[in-house]
Amino acid sequence: MFNLTFRQRRYFSYGIRWVVALILIFFAIFPVLWILSASFNPTNTLATAKLIPDNIGLDNYYSLFNNPNTPFGIWIWNSIKISSITTVLSVSVTTLAAYAFSRFRFSGRENMLKAILLIQVFPALLAMIAVFTLITQFDSIIPAIGLNTHAGLILVYLGGAMGVNIWLMKGFFDTIPRAIDESAMVDGATHWQTFSQLLLPLMRPILIVIAILTFIGTYGDFVLARVLLKSTDQYPLMVGLFIFTSGQFSQQWGPFAAGALLGALPIMIIYLVLQDQIVGGLTQGAVKG
Amino acid sequence: MKNYFFKAAVVALAMIVLVACGGDTQQVVEEAAQQVEEAAQQVQENSEEIAEQVDQAAAEAEQAVEEAQEAVEEAVTEAEEAAEEVVDEAEEVMEFETSITIWADDTRAPILSELAEGFQNEYGVGLVVEQVADINDQFPIAAPAGEGPDILILAHDRIGGFYASGLLAPLDLGDTAGEFLPVSVDAFTYEGDLVGMPYAIENLGFFYNTDLVETAPTTWDEVIEVGGALVESGDATYAIALTGTTYDMFPLQTAFGGYVFGQSEAGYDPSDVGIDSEGMIAAGEFVQTNVEAGLISDSLDWDTAHVQFETGEIPFLMAGPWALDRIREAGVPYGIAPFPTAEKEGQPFLGVQGFAVNALSENVLLAQTFLTEFVATEDVMRQLAESGNRPSAFAAVASEDPDLVSLGDAGVNALPMPAIPEMGSVWGSWGDAFTLIVNGEQSAEDALTNGGEQIRALIAGEELPEEEGEEETDE
Amino acid sequence: MAVQALKRFETGDGQSATLSNVVIRLVLLLAIDAFAIWFAVRAFGEGYLPLGIAIALIAAGVNYVILVKEMYPIRWMLLGLILMAMFSIYPILLTVFVAFTNYGDGHLLTKPQSIEQITKARFVPEGGSAYTWTGYSNEAGDYALWLQSENGDSFLAFPGQTLIPAAEATGLGELDSEGIPESVGDYERLNAFQVASDQNISTIQFGSELDGVQIRSPQEAAQLQPKFAYDEANDIINDLETGVSYTPVEGRWTAANGDELTAGFRANVGLDNFTRFFQSPAFRGPLVRIIIWNFAFAFFSVFATFALGLAIAYVFNDPEFPGRKIIQSFLLIPYTIPSLITILIWRGMFNPQVGVINRTLSDLIGIAPAWTVDPWLAKIAILIVNLWLGYPYFMLICSGALQAIPGDLYEAASIDGANAWQQFYKITLPLLLVAVGPLLVASFTFNFNNFNIIFLFIEGGPPIAGSPTRAGHTDILISYVYNLAFAAGRGKEYGLGAAITIVIFVVVAVITLFQFRYTKMWEEVGEGV
Repeated sequence: MFNLTFRQRRYFSYGIRWVVALILIFFAIFPVLWILSASFNPTNTLATAKLIPDNIGLDNYYSLFNNPNTPFGIWIWNSIKISSITTVLSVSVTTLAAYAFSRFRFSGRENMLKAILLIQVFPALLAMIAVFTLITQFDSIIPAIGLNTHAGLILVYLGGAMGVNIWLMKGFFDTIPRAIDESAMVDGATHWQTFSQLLLPLMRPILIVIAILTFIGTYGDFVLARVLLKSTDQYPLMVGLFIFTSGQFSQQWGPFAAGALLGALPIMIIYLVLQDQIVGGLTQGAVKG
Repeated sequence: MKNYFFKAAVVALAMIVLVACGGDTQQVVEEAAQQVEEAAQQVQENSEEIAEQVDQAAAEAEQAVEEAQEAVEEAVTEAEEAAEEVVDEAEEVMEFETSITIWADDTRAPILSELAEGFQNEYGVGLVVEQVADINDQFPIAAPAGEGPDILILAHDRIGGFYASGLLAPLDLGDTAGEFLPVSVDAFTYEGDLVGMPYAIENLGFFYNTDLVETAPTTWDEVIEVGGALVESGDATYAIALTGTTYDMFPLQTAFGGYVFGQSEAGYDPSDVGIDSEGMIAAGEFVQTNVEAGLISDSLDWDTAHVQFETGEIPFLMAGPWALDRIREAGVPYGIAPFPTAEKEGQPFLGVQGFAVNALSENVLLAQTFLTEFVATEDVMRQLAESGNRPSAFAAVASEDPDLVSLGDAGVNALPMPAIPEMGSVWGSWGDAFTLIVNGEQSAEDALTNGGEQIRALIAGEELPEEEGEEETDE
Repeated sequence: MAVQALKRFETGDGQSATLSNVVIRLVLLLAIDAFAIWFAVRAFGEGYLPLGIAIALIAAGVNYVILVKEMYPIRWMLLGLILMAMFSIYPILLTVFVAFTNYGDGHLLTKPQSIEQITKARFVPEGGSAYTWTGYSNEAGDYALWLQSENGDSFLAFPGQTLIPAAEATGLGELDSEGIPESVGDYERLNAFQVASDQNISTIQFGSELDGVQIRSPQEAAQLQPKFAYDEANDIINDLETGVSYTPVEGRWTAANGDELTAGFRANVGLDNFTRFFQSPAFRGPLVRIIIWNFAFAFFSVFATFALGLAIAYVFNDPEFPGRKIIQSFLLIPYTIPSLITILIWRGMFNPQVGVINRTLSDLIGIAPAWTVDPWLAKIAILIVNLWLGYPYFMLICSGALQAIPGDLYEAASIDGANAWQQFYKITLPLLLVAVGPLLVASFTFNFNNFNIIFLFIEGGPPIAGSPTRAGHTDILISYVYNLAFAAGRGKEYGLGAAITIVIFVVVAVITLFQFRYTKMWEEVGEGV
């Protein structure tokens, strides 16, 4: 086609990809600029007539950090703590289950897989009331996992660990040829050894992806957390931020926007750090049957 | 497989520690920590056995033991820390034998928290203020489960549902009842019982930009005339912008004679829906004509309308006390006036905010005492009124803020927001009708007639299971 | 050899059981059982019947799985299954149960709670006296009251003793301006809060049986008698003042003349919620066109988010590509900010008059589309917003899932002369769908019920003119039905809500199961690898 050297062709392709990337980034970032604008705007509006507000100021950020009724630092810490614990446990549960679904053939396997997905699609809004009742009852038996405890909330989150991610993980397991396990087993390896030493390293990309998804999902939840946690010091970030929107006409969008942007930072950092791990598998030549 | 069990045990133990983290008492935490340690020993012993049996597995098992030990150690430290925290917290709370819990919104929570210290020192009763978003949604779930607050803050239009459900304890204000504005006490009276103690009232006012207009217009024709001149001269984009909420349009609609529910002696009458009344249609026609003439904005966005007023693009706005902060912050010069008239005077809705006592609380009498002896005093009522921008419901606390005085004047004839459940059937169709009118898709008469029919169908639909349901089986 | 290995797979008995293995397993099981039994007993003790049963059932399942050899594969997911049973399935079952009750405003309490609330009420019988009160207590914690009647008479009252007129009382301390003594003997005067702090104070009878009073409000103590009594044998509540009996009718204590007592309770109403739902005006409205848009909305949302997410993952996953990390991090941003605020920001941006989109468009090419007024434009706008919200999810998933595709397949393909597009279409896509297919199904379901975006962005509008029920052009089934059902209801009706939830769940489940046909197809593709 073009009379170009390999290197020139590569740079050409990079150039085009960068142009596409810039367009996409514009699309991704543009609304966020308005949120940034709202966070500097003391009038608590989300109307987007002007990108640079008239009375630009840091009031909203200041009020986030200096108002004893909105302990922003504690909220972020709570969120990170809850999300991290949930992510580690949930990914463990998911991975073990997905291995079983992929590698064993047992009766009820297909129906279980279907059931897992169906349970996930049950509209959760009203089940929330039942979850509240359940945790209230736990509260009077083992207060440590009852209302207003992070442990109780995490347990409820883990109830969703057997979710659609099992399908994703199982699909990934399925693409790893069985021959790998079989040869290991012939050499006397147990299922656990095959799973933990052979397959898990290969699974790294999808494990990271699912971990990030779980982390973001937990981090962003406010529906469950709002019902189960009641004291300001226990709130995760999202529930804390929703306090600002509770008045029907007096939503404080300024602090909300500021908090939402700052709250996004931990996720961005985690993603930046883990990103190489996602693509890592490819460079190592992944699967060699 | 061995290793699997082994790790599963570790996970299970980790769960116990996790459970301990959120604990209430040091004992639980210590027990858990002890359990974890014992189990860890056990795990180590077992793993040594395994190591002897399977060479290949041994290395991994050891590593796992190390990991497990580390994990356990970490967990124990964490548990200990958590225990300390818990103890600290416990000390803080246990200072008082009894305490009152209040659920408050973001506006009132800070004021109540400030009051708490003085109250606690004076009376030796604890006061815990919890800032809860969506009190209306959370309370009916939490209260029957025994997890509700002792006192909650709510608007008067929710008392009916809660009181009929047995969630609110009636109040006896005694002599202090006379110190509240009668209209606010009436709003919190349900079927003859007083079920809440009002602290603030709120209604819309007619805002005008004092740079653009010297004196507020007194009729709607004048609004259009004055605003129109400003549009013509290029000083304004529109004469006025409406917001999508029919709540905000109500003063215009009532000025033309529109109403939502007819009034009978027993209060609002749900069988008399006024959405397609003559007055309402007249208001709709007024809006549509002037939108077409470019004098009323064709946007119905609440935020947009406010921004347009704040930036001086429109001279008039119907807004509530909740907008005061942002309008002041924006720096636009403004005045607040009573609503313009047309056929009659324009009336806004009146909302009343108050405290109510959870009937399922163990401290009903204490909560009532708190309200009548502590809150219903001039001093506390004044502090409540000072932030939040609402005129106080306590007569002695006359607002010194001129804006609140003007808002009070604009609301002299305000109509209490209907607290009857049928009101829930009205908002949607009513708002849609005005959207269609402003968009010019239907004439005011068509849109409102159809809206009225939708509302009547909804209200009638409720009766179906008992009455019409039987008729249907006959057909 | 491979055959042998496979056989081990099938039986799940990868290795012969050793002694220590069995012991660990049994100890663990014993621990779990001990815990479960303790927990269930406590639950039954607290009166939480369903919870106790659930715990017992789960424990039985755990025992079965751990003890029965064939259950080996299930042991891998045991912890997940326990958590799922307890925190997902059990709440769903409770919700199903609620659908057959009238739980909601007016019926929020349980029957015992309702009886307790009603029988708390007391009344002052004819000729009974009421007083304002002041409380006292001694070191032993006994209480006394100083009572003042409206006509100015004062009395001292001790529990169980006849009221003592002020003149005859002894040991009175200094009187304050209102004539109330500061102390009585060794009884010190209390403030109202100190009295009210005692939760039992209002049950104490001050005075003798004939003239005794009880505290009933911070202001008043009176000769009170219980107003209602519950007759357990007949399951009726009797009004002791008027003699009227109230029987429970659908969760309301109702008298013969139709009067009802405040505080109803949750009662079983059979299929009422379902009949109400199916008879509601919702089904007389433009249901067909809402369903068509609902499917289109869900389909295009999934299609667009998946396509863009996959494209980004595919194009920018090359580790050699400079700036890959920073690009992908920027592209993730929409996923990291709460959608509540981003949807509202988009709503502002699409505002036809002041929104930045139209200001820019009219500056550049002189058009200002009526995004919120025109039905088609509103639909397009909502899809754009949903694309923005949703593509990072698939970007993440695809960038992980793409790693599962063995590189040698591509090598083989390029040797066979397949071009890039063919490689993508013939190798990447089918293999990717093995893993991602079910997530597409789940995403479709999620969007099918994506109430939030419809409501926050445009509230279902623009309204459909002349519709017999309230409906908007962008309303999807769930927003339309919920709005109508709840607008028509009386306050919060969880029972009705649960019934609607179940109906919608059935619809969604059918759609989901139908889509499984395709995932099955994908899975077979995957098995071949």
